[in-house]
Amino acid sequence: MAIAERTAGTVSPPSVSVRPGWAGWLSTTDHKRIGIMYLVSAFVFFLIGGIEALLMRIQLGVPDNTFLTPDVYNQMFTMHGTTMIFLGLMPLNVGLGNYMVPLMIGARDMAFPRLNALSIWLFIFGGLMLYVSFFVGGAPNVGWFAYAPLTQKQFAPTAGVDYWIIGIGLTGVASIAGALNFIVTILNMRAPGMTLNRMPLFVWMQLIVAFILIFAFPVLTVGTIQLLFDRHFGTRFFLPNLGGDAVLWQHLFWFFGHPEVYILILPTMGIISEVLPTFSRKPIFGYAFVAYSGVAIGFLGFLVWAHHMFAVGLGPLANAFFGAASFLIAVPTGVKIFNWLATMWQGSLHLTTSMLYAIGFISMFVIGGISGITLASPPINVQQTDSYYVVAHMHYVLFGGAIQGIFAGIFYWFPKMTGRMLNERLGKWQFWLMLVSFNLTFFPMHLSGNEGMPRRIYTYESEMGWNLWNLLSTIGSLLLAVAFLLFLWNVLTSIRRGSIAPADPWDGATLEWSVSSPPPVYNFAVTPRVRSRRPLWDEKYPHLHEVNGSHETPAARLRGLLYDGAEGEMPMAMEPIHLPSPTYAPLIVSVGIMILGFGIIYLGDFGVIAASAMLVGLLIMATGILSWVRISHVDSPYQAH
Amino acid sequence: MNTLPRSFLRWSRFLLLIGMSVVIAACGNNPGNTYDPYGDNARRIYELLIPIWWMALGVFVVVEGLLIYAIWRFRRRAVGAAMPAQVHGNTQVEILWTIAPAIIVLVIAVLTFRTQAENAVMPDDALRIKAIGHQWWFEFQYPDLGAEGKPVVTASDMYIPVGRPVTVVLESQDVIHNFWVPKLAGKTYMIPGKTNFLTFTAEQPGIYRAVCAEFCGEAHALMRFRVIAVDEAEFNRWIEQKKTPPSAPAGMLTVNGLTGDAARGQAIFLDARKQCIACHAVEGTNARGQIGPNLTYYGSRQTIAAGILPYSPDNLDRWLRDAPKLKPGNLMSRVLTPQWIKANLSDQEIADLVAYLDSMKVSVTLPPER
Amino acid sequence: MSESSMTRPQAAVAHHTSLGVDNRKLGVWAFIGSETLFFATLITTYFVFAPVNRARPDFQDPRQFLDIELTTVLASILLASSLTMVLALSASKRGDRRWFTTWLLATVGLGLAFIGGQVYEFNHLYHEGLTLSSSLFGTTFFVLTGFHGTHVAIGVIWLLSVFFKVRAYPDSPENAMDVEIAGLYWHFVDLVWVAIFVLVYLI
Repeated sequence: MAIAERTAGTVSPPSVSVRPGWAGWLSTTDHKRIGIMYLVSAFVFFLIGGIEALLMRIQLGVPDNTFLTPDVYNQMFTMHGTTMIFLGLMPLNVGLGNYMVPLMIGARDMAFPRLNALSIWLFIFGGLMLYVSFFVGGAPNVGWFAYAPLTQKQFAPTAGVDYWIIGIGLTGVASIAGALNFIVTILNMRAPGMTLNRMPLFVWMQLIVAFILIFAFPVLTVGTIQLLFDRHFGTRFFLPNLGGDAVLWQHLFWFFGHPEVYILILPTMGIISEVLPTFSRKPIFGYAFVAYSGVAIGFLGFLVWAHHMFAVGLGPLANAFFGAASFLIAVPTGVKIFNWLATMWQGSLHLTTSMLYAIGFISMFVIGGISGITLASPPINVQQTDSYYVVAHMHYVLFGGAIQGIFAGIFYWFPKMTGRMLNERLGKWQFWLMLVSFNLTFFPMHLSGNEGMPRRIYTYESEMGWNLWNLLSTIGSLLLAVAFLLFLWNVLTSIRRGSIAPADPWDGATLEWSVSSPPPVYNFAVTPRVRSRRPLWDEKYPHLHEVNGSHETPAARLRGLLYDGAEGEMPMAMEPIHLPSPTYAPLIVSVGIMILGFGIIYLGDFGVIAASAMLVGLLIMATGILSWVRISHVDSPYQAH
Repeated sequence: MNTLPRSFLRWSRFLLLIGMSVVIAACGNNPGNTYDPYGDNARRIYELLIPIWWMALGVFVVVEGLLIYAIWRFRRRAVGAAMPAQVHGNTQVEILWTIAPAIIVLVIAVLTFRTQAENAVMPDDALRIKAIGHQWWFEFQYPDLGAEGKPVVTASDMYIPVGRPVTVVLESQDVIHNFWVPKLAGKTYMIPGKTNFLTFTAEQPGIYRAVCAEFCGEAHALMRFRVIAVDEAEFNRWIEQKKTPPSAPAGMLTVNGLTGDAARGQAIFLDARKQCIACHAVEGTNARGQIGPNLTYYGSRQTIAAGILPYSPDNLDRWLRDAPKLKPGNLMSRVLTPQWIKANLSDQEIADLVAYLDSMKVSVTLPPER
Repeated sequence: MSESSMTRPQAAVAHHTSLGVDNRKLGVWAFIGSETLFFATLITTYFVFAPVNRARPDFQDPRQFLDIELTTVLASILLASSLTMVLALSASKRGDRRWFTTWLLATVGLGLAFIGGQVYEFNHLYHEGLTLSSSLFGTTFFVLTGFHGTHVAIGVIWLLSVFFKVRAYPDSPENAMDVEIAGLYWHFVDLVWVAIFVLVYLI
């Protein structure tokens, strides 16, 4: 904190004008504001997805229920899956990454601030387009996995599937653009001395995820394009009666879909790897092993897609290969878990809400990992796949794992982002309520699944013996909703009345804690010089650095060197700070792309009108791009630095 | 922080509860329970699950135990507690816990591949049954057992002999379905444009619940069937009867307060204006529709509308009047809406139809429900 | 970036990066990696369906429809455009505005010629009875080559926007890099065509 005050005092205000009010948000190119926009919009979508889940749980609470019609139920689980994955978890991770990565590597912004703004707008518009479908004939009702040929016009005549394709397409473009941004930012914008092997593990995981994303998403994009052409332009990629191949869709989908799981979980593993050391007051145990096991998981993630297809009949050899590759993933995952345990071992554990969530992550993720082992075994898989056992497994990984990890991150970084502390008491209530109700909701699903309850059914018979499990799940889900309301209440009250957050409330080790809370618009008055994995920690506790006999910089040289000139002298040469100008260009381009998307959906049915809409969209895009080029020229010599 | 032990107590009580539920569940014999196998395929899977389950339990106990111990032992007891030693890692330990999970998964992999190989065996003498998925019902054909090259065709009830391997040839007419008899065998997809095979042997006679396990559209939840495993002699008796067309319908049946006449019912059924034969077939008559289930010997079905209603003349009457409500989305009621039925079939005609369909019976001694 | 930034120290400050590679260049390389998967998937789809197409009653034989001569010319045009692109970049780095304009416009012209050739080819095939819905070959061929053509069109627009930008701001230190990254993308699209030409037309 002291550091931040010292350095902040030495700089004149940056040469950037932030527009006031709404305009400031609509035209922003600041990674912090964009990060907050990601988090807020993703959380709204997340709540909507949660409501969809509640409706399903109410329907399944008792046998032979008639609360939802089958078609509405099918829309609900399609939208729940799509929303949680594409509009909830992914952008929550992106939001935390967007806000924290530049701060953690000592950069003033992302590498491409305008592209960053484009990503957030495309994501928001993609999500909105998906939800427009509810008002124009019904939401998609074919499952988030959209297996062919159920998605063909013959079986799914409403425009729901088209909105799904375009909505996913827009968020996909947003994700790829975001991933490119992360790759370049992390590889290229690191502060001097921040070598790859000194990067915070959260940054490592974001880098791995960005690489997974740029290689996995195009495959889904091609699949959805082919589906769109099947539905509207007479092709037959997935039409078996004309020679098309229903299984090809599954290959394309899961070649994306399995890496997607790691896209969702790796960033939260990164969060855990920040939170656990901070609240254990120790460095992460086995930094390199945690980092490179992430790389291994990312790589193996591309070799296991067909374990979602063991019942498809690919043959024993293929199944054996994909089963073996899936088993292998247990190894780097186990390494991570043991390293986290070792990080806590002999530490001084400060059980904040964030830490509780990190521990909750480990405890629940272990269950999800174990249930994954039986699913990776092809013979057992064919009993368990498409049953509620998978629903249980997947929620232990993505809820017990990813969501708890995200909460660990939110409770950890909320003070940094808002300058206010979240209420710890409420937070702990939320944690315990969530842990209990989460298990109440999802643990019984292991049992109902193994007792023969298939997934995606809107009703079941009483005599099947699943009544108790389903009732418990439903009760659990209602309690979960209360836990989320507690969180919402906590955020809304803390943001106004929470206690003021200091720069470094948790005695952190990484660079984001070296600046004020919230950070100044330019992040760092002076670019920090990084000399170890824990730059701020070593600045605060130089003697500890020496004690453990580390190979890095001798303690004497560490003191006060995080920021040149922090020892009272003026920095050698005060660099001018340049930040990207605010601009509406990315917003305009996104609007154009969205209109183009609407045109594509209706091109097959209303040729002329749709084509004119597409033309309008293109014109708006062109206008946006022109203004983009102009502003980027004005800014060009001054990319955030 | 002194509230913590209480939390842990709560925690462990909760875990105990979960553990007990597992035990209870494993002992139950619900109709779909995979822990209660009656077929060789399902049994081998179950027997593979047991050792893996124990290993998983071991991993669970070790990891969660270490975690809980660490929280209890190393939690900060006072603000300003001494700074712990700054340990960065230990390569030997890392190697150890890289190898340990590797060994566990290796063992699991070996066990897995053994079971996989056993379950993939398809004996030559297996009885071939073709199962075809339709939105939203299952069709079964016995290509090797028909008369004059015509297979025996039925729907929703799959009869198999006990103790003899059965190879189900899986196909689909429209979208992807998934053939699942939890107590007999694991799932296999029915994919349009592709043929899959699944071999299993029923070890005991019984009526086994089965479902479509892959989401296949609006009425996916209501796409069920029964596997009826009877001893070989009974199976042969069944197939012999199925090969012979039903004899001329005769007899009366009281349905819904009206007396239906089976012979009159047949005439209505075969009347093209009443639309039945556009989709349905009955052997030995002019009814040769291919779109809906074959209704030969319908009176011996276990269920109506693909496993959703127990078979009875009264339920059949309900089905004919109220199909959209009983099974939303079903093809028949999309064409023959309740309004259409009201306009084209009198109550008496419906009673006659029910009497006709109910009159076609085969005689089989049914095994117990499993 | 070396030459232009050496003569313009201001740009050297702007471009300080951890890897020493310009941000946008790194970004375009990563983007090309992503695009590789895009085209790999389309090409894989083509090959998955090639034998299925052959076995079907509505089989359409690629050999019978595809005009190797025309597409050889198209391939040469695109290859030549890669050469002119290299020359344009080198002129831009030299600061030779006249030759830069010449070579860049030549690249644009060759790109347009390629698109024209493809439009002609598609039109011809359509009248021969090969359409998106006529066979699996039609389905996979048009979607693959069509998306490649779209990429060429986007490349032409990109090159033109670079051209106009350089004209509007002739002294911008970014110009050489603008040309270079547009060129990277252009070469990639060219390379994809080589792959399609060899795998679809020749084999």
